[in-house]
Amino acid sequence: MPDLEQALTALGPALDWPPTPDLTGVVHLPAMRGGGAERRWGGAFENAPRWAIAAAAVVFALAALALYPPSREAIANWVNVHTSFRQVQHLATPSPQPPGPLGERLGLGGRTTLVDARKQITWKIAIPSTLGQPDEVYLEPPADAPAQGEVTLVYATRPGIPIAGQTGVSVLVTEARGAVDQNFFVKMLGPNTTPEAVTVAGHQGYWIAGPFNEFFFNDANGNFRSETVRLAANTLIIDYSGTVIRIEGNLTKAQALEIAASLT
Amino acid sequence: MEGRPEDDSELFARAQRGETAAYEEIVRRYQQLAFRTAYVITGSASEAEDAAQDGFVKAFRALNRFRPGAPPRPWLLRIVANEARNRVRSTQRRLGLELRLAEGFRPGDAAPSPEAASVAAEDRSRLLELVNALGQEDREVIASRYFLELSGDETAAALGIPEGTVKSRLSRALARLRTSYAEAPHA
Repeated sequence: MPDLEQALTALGPALDWPPTPDLTGVVHLPAMRGGGAERRWGGAFENAPRWAIAAAAVVFALAALALYPPSREAIANWVNVHTSFRQVQHLATPSPQPPGPLGERLGLGGRTTLVDARKQITWKIAIPSTLGQPDEVYLEPPADAPAQGEVTLVYATRPGIPIAGQTGVSVLVTEARGAVDQNFFVKMLGPNTTPEAVTVAGHQGYWIAGPFNEFFFNDANGNFRSETVRLAANTLIIDYSGTVIRIEGNLTKAQALEIAASLT
Repeated sequence: MEGRPEDDSELFARAQRGETAAYEEIVRRYQQLAFRTAYVITGSASEAEDAAQDGFVKAFRALNRFRPGAPPRPWLLRIVANEARNRVRSTQRRLGLELRLAEGFRPGDAAPSPEAASVAAEDRSRLLELVNALGQEDREVIASRYFLELSGDETAAALGIPEGTVKSRLSRALARLRTSYAEAPHA
């Protein structure tokens, strides 16, 4: 047998890959209208007509999906947005909690400790003093996360805060270096989700009541990031001196603001 | 221009100016790589299709953040692979990637490389069995590096790990494969 690496390279052309679908149709999706790059979306939204049409189409699709469950898949296929709907369904129906670390099933990265996390990143992790020390800490390295990494603090039970679904988690605090692009962030939330602008100790924030699917921001290198919200609950997002902090949980707005105000 | 494929950087520049046709060509050019990369991560053709599609949509939206002159493959792969990993997380299941040899493949088919011609059919089959028997991380890094022929930085982007980790993970995977190959009964 020749060199192993050569043999592996030679295997590539011999493999039975699934047929590659034709994806060029994505350029005709409603989500792609309005120009080539994100900045052109801004103009299109401000001038409204295209956005209004797209928003109406989304509202119509959502209404149709809600009214006619048996035809969900078909309708989703017509508008070619079936993937998004599937994601929402997963968030809304968490599966029973298995034994083991709470955060492991939420895809938060590798489990670590605060001490080790601080050694591995170059920025300050803010801790909400009202919640105390987190029960678990997770770190996603930059290659799989926003530039300079992402840290998530997991809080199990805390007095007065219900557990979110069957996750066993009451609050998640996720932190990454970056900034929220307000226009893009708000527009990408979709027409059914309206964030409320808040200020927390001088920091701009957004309170979002109810579950939503994805969250968009710019990481420390200015790269566009999309992240899946982990708990189907309420969310407070704060631009905290160059760190984007996301607080998720079945929290009231007052509880979330109190937690955010205690970040040190 | 006839007869010469348009350079990636020209295509991306045109797409950044809002030319849909240019982005359509980018999708056409990279859809196979994107889909197969997502397949390596999800182990499911339908999930891979959704991930690749969503990845191309998100890449389009993020085009203005693509740095002119930067290599587009790692950038695109990172977005698509991120989508694929998000799907694995949201579904909370990962299908085991199991690759198979194409039926009736002969080294003479599809303009094989000299290396392909030198590997006997039974060796290919046995080697693939051993690759499929490896752990998920080992399979992913070997599939990315050798079957998809991604570079080190592209593999890092696809797997969401630092390039140094790619090297060390690949080294360990190859060592395990060598061991299992040596131990396996030869045809």
